[in-house]
Formats: sequence, C-alpha cells, structure tokens
Amino acid sequence: MKEAIETRELFILGGGDCIVRGTHHKASNDCYYTRSTPANRDRIGIVFLNSLSPTRAWKGDASVYWADSFAACGYSSFRLDLPGFGDSQEDPPADLLRFIDRGGYASMAADKIKELVTRFNLSRVVIAGHCAGAITAIYTASTSRECGGLILLDPYLHVPLAPRSRLWGTLTGLIPLSALDRLMASIFDRVLRLANQPPRNSNSALLSRWKELVSGGLPILIFNTPTNTQRGGEFDYVSYILERAGSNSQVAVKVIQGAYHSFANLTGRAAVRQHAERWLKDYFPLMKDEEDSVASLCSKRSDDESQKKTYQNCVHGLPLA
Amino acid sequence: MKRQKQRPSRDGLSEQAGYFTVPGAHLYTVLHKVTDPVARILLVGSFASERHFSYHPWVRWARYLAERRIEVLRYDYRGVGESTGIFEELSFEDWSEDVQLLADWVTARSPSLPLILHGLELGAILAARCFHEGRGDALLLWSPPANANEALRSSLLHWAGLEQLWESPENRSSASEYIRQLEHGSSIEVHGYQWSSRLWRDSFHFGLHASLENQSSSSEAYGKPVKLVRLNKDAAPLVKPHLMYHQVNDLSWLYSTSFDWIANSLALSTIGPNERSN
Repeated sequence: MKEAIETRELFILGGGDCIVRGTHHKASNDCYYTRSTPANRDRIGIVFLNSLSPTRAWKGDASVYWADSFAACGYSSFRLDLPGFGDSQEDPPADLLRFIDRGGYASMAADKIKELVTRFNLSRVVIAGHCAGAITAIYTASTSRECGGLILLDPYLHVPLAPRSRLWGTLTGLIPLSALDRLMASIFDRVLRLANQPPRNSNSALLSRWKELVSGGLPILIFNTPTNTQRGGEFDYVSYILERAGSNSQVAVKVIQGAYHSFANLTGRAAVRQHAERWLKDYFPLMKDEEDSVASLCSKRSDDESQKKTYQNCVHGLPLA
Repeated sequence: MKRQKQRPSRDGLSEQAGYFTVPGAHLYTVLHKVTDPVARILLVGSFASERHFSYHPWVRWARYLAERRIEVLRYDYRGVGESTGIFEELSFEDWSEDVQLLADWVTARSPSLPLILHGLELGAILAARCFHEGRGDALLLWSPPANANEALRSSLLHWAGLEQLWESPENRSSASEYIRQLEHGSSIEVHGYQWSSRLWRDSFHFGLHASLENQSSSSEAYGKPVKLVRLNKDAAPLVKPHLMYHQVNDLSWLYSTSFDWIANSLALSTIGPNERSN
C-alpha cells in the first residue's frame, strides 16, 4: 500500500487534541516542477470542508472531482475529514446540524488549516464548503488568518425554528394552532420583510460573521441552485448582505440552472468547476512560471495518449477543457 | 466464549490508509492493524451511491472487529470515493477483480490466519463470488441481493423517490422513466454517478452462485462456514432507508451477533497463547 500516487497523497494532521485525515491533490505543476519552485511564492491551497455528508468525497464524489480539476489548474487542493466524519476517529456530535449552525467546528478547523498551511508550505487557503459545510466555512474564515477566500455552495443563513416548550407541545397536540397566532406570526414576518430585515429564524451569529467578511473585502464565490434560491425566496440573504457590504465587497453569485442541491450531477459539477477556476485565476492568479508549467503540462499530456488517460482519470472521466 | 478486546488506538494511527494498485487505477484502502491478530477480514461495502450513506456504521464495524483482534481491510470500489478510475467505464468484472486482488493481498500478509470475506448488499455478491473461486475461510453476507440488478433497482427507487423530494421539478424523474432510458441505451445519473445501459444490462447476469441461495446448503456445499443475514430498517443507515445517515446509530446488536458467529465458526477462542476473557 502506498500513501501517495502521482496525483494524490494521503495525510494526517495530528496536532492538537484531534486527528484529521485528508487527501492532498497535488497541483499539476507541483507534480513535475517541485524542485524549481521558489520557496517564497504565494502558494494558494483549496480546502474542502465536510458538509453533513459523511465523507470528504462529498455526495457523488463531487469534491474529488473539483479537487482534481483545481489541482490540474495549478492549485493544490485538500479534502479533510473533520472529527465525526469519514475516517476520523470521533463520533459526530449528537445534534450535528445545531453544532454546525453554531460554528462548532470553526476553531478546530482553523487550527487544522494553520497546521496544513505550515506543512504544505502554503501562504493562504480558499475554503470551500457545501450546505452545512458552507456554514462551517464562514465561521472558520472569520477566525482563520490563513483564509484568503471562500467558495460556498448552497449556503443557508437560517436555523430551524426553536421547538416549542413541552407544555405548548402538549397543548397544541390537543388544540390546533390558533388562526390568530398564525396571523400574528405572518404579520410579523411581513413587517420584517417590508423593512428588509432578516426573518425570525435567521442565524444571527452567522449573519454577523458573514457581514464582517463581506465588508472586509474577502473574495467570496457563492453557488446557488434554483431550489435553494426558491427556498430562500422568503428572504434574500445574499442581496441583504450585498446591499450593506460597502465598496469593499468582492462577492460573486452564480445560480446554476439544472444543478442538484449536491451539485454532483454533470451540469452542477461542470458549472462549478468552470466558474470557480475562472474566479480563482482572477483573484488568486498563478505566477507566470506556474501558468507556463501548467500549460506546458497540459500540452504535453494532450500529446501523449497514455498520459491523457491518467489525466482524465484524475477528473473522474470528465474532460477539463 | 472467550474473546480478547484490544484497546482501541486513541490516536487512530493504527488505521493505515493507502493506495492499492489494480489495473488502471488505485484503490483507496484502510487497514485496521491489530497486534497479534487471530483472523483477518476483507470488508466489501455497498455500491457507489450507497457508500455515502452507510459509511459511518461500516467504519464502526471495522473498528469493532479490530478491537477484538481481527485485522480489517476495507476499501473503496474502483472509480468510487477515494479510489481512482472512471466509474462509467467500469464493470462488475472489474470490481470483482478488485476483491480477488485484495483478498490475495490480505492472505499473503499471514497465510496461516483464517480470512473472512464479508460483503454488504452488492458487496455481498462480490465477496461471494470471490469465495466461490476458492478464496477465504468463511463468508459473511449482509443483505445479499439475488443479483446486481436487484441492488441497482433498489438504489434507483431510493434516488427517484426520497432523494429527489428536495430537487426542483425539472430535475425529477420517475424510476420507470430512468429504467426506460437505460433500456433504450442511454446513461442516467444516480447520486452523481453515471450508470450506463451496459451496467444495467450486465446487472441481470451478475449474481450469487446458486449454491449460495440457501444458507444451510451453502455451508455444506463449500465445506466452510457461510452466514447470510437479511437486514431490515433497524440496521439503517447501513441499509435503506438511509435516514439520519450523518448520525451514529447503535448497531452493536448486529456487530456482536456477527462477531460471535465469526468467532464461533472459526473457533477463534482457541487461537493464541495469550487469550483471556474480558
């Protein structure tokens, strides 16, 4: 058994109180040009955090696909199993969603990213997260000095409404929710909406971190599916934040028609790859020599059928063109 | 029955992840190493999209066994999860070959120790076929389908039903529509995996050997211990419905009964001079 193959290597981050396992997708230029790489260049890594999906591969192995494709573009990519996920040791917290919504993983994820940056000689990272993973990414970005950008897929900025008290539950089990109560709640929500204020079930702690990051000019790329946009139709969190972000804001939003919530289908994964790669090149451009080496590598690979096969293997059969 | 429970490694470093080379790809493997093992087991998990849902209980089962001195090798199918390879180009024969190569590797680590082949759902067919070829000293099957099509059809029904409730209407299709597309030579996407019509066609002919359809006769036919366990919803999220798959469900009842069967059928309590009860 080998811990590394041509394009990937497995690693363990063992510092602190917990062990995190992960997969490193080697940047294509690193695979072939490591020795000539200047040590002091700005090396950006892409870090994929877990969503509710049990493994670092994400649903439909979507994160594997994107990590492979970003690495092929010259960006080292890292997929982590945080404690409670995949091959890590611990069990997940009993109420995992609530734990994530409160930013439970942020401090530990920030520590692990720091460890990762040192170990792989990175200067900064872009944190990518899907759904609940996007929530962890936002919280982590607000505490991590190493975070240089965010890629968020179908993030949500609300929390489930708190369950009613036991007494209320007993009563409402016997008596249906009164029309008056429903009317009052509806009026209150409409007033909030008219005032362009987040609804009662917004995650206020998360919104606050999110506003700070946006106002601070952190480059953020958001992907939404039409379903998520419709769900958020009650309140447009993204517009709300953008309106208050000021001139520093560097937020880009893409709604991907035809993508599933997981973005794991062909349409979803291809669109995310395409937009994210362009965004990475805009905000985190590779140095000239790195670009040349990636281009040269791509050219070399296209000339060599057997290498082309390996290259396609990297991206689970979808061409990178 | 005597059994020795090994202290689990608190740092997890006894779980060694690595890549195992097979034709055209590298399989992601995790070896749960054990000091002084009494047996070894190869875990063959469920099919591509099911891996995601059953991962937590599958890893915990591996750890349960390792704590009891059974060294475990688990892995991802070729083209799935952490393994490399192009999923849509692969076949049941490829995945069958993976099991045989891994079983040979595990056996070679210490030929004197018994090897158990253990499979879940489609993995049960793969493990059983490897066993039929003469590998392994015991066979444990959890919810083996009669053939691969049964497993694919079950995944498809789940995908077209519960999983698509959250998707926009244009992204929804019925199971019958998916099957129609497959039968007309088109590929479909299930949980992000491309199922080809070839895979669908092949699935009808890839099944358990006739001698394994009945537990009592199968042990007799092979002259080795064989156990078939049908799991129901109590074993979720290991099997469908995969509700709350991100949480840890207590499946110790399944783990303990399965371990007891392994230990008894291979008389593991008699192995090892340092054996002592808990």
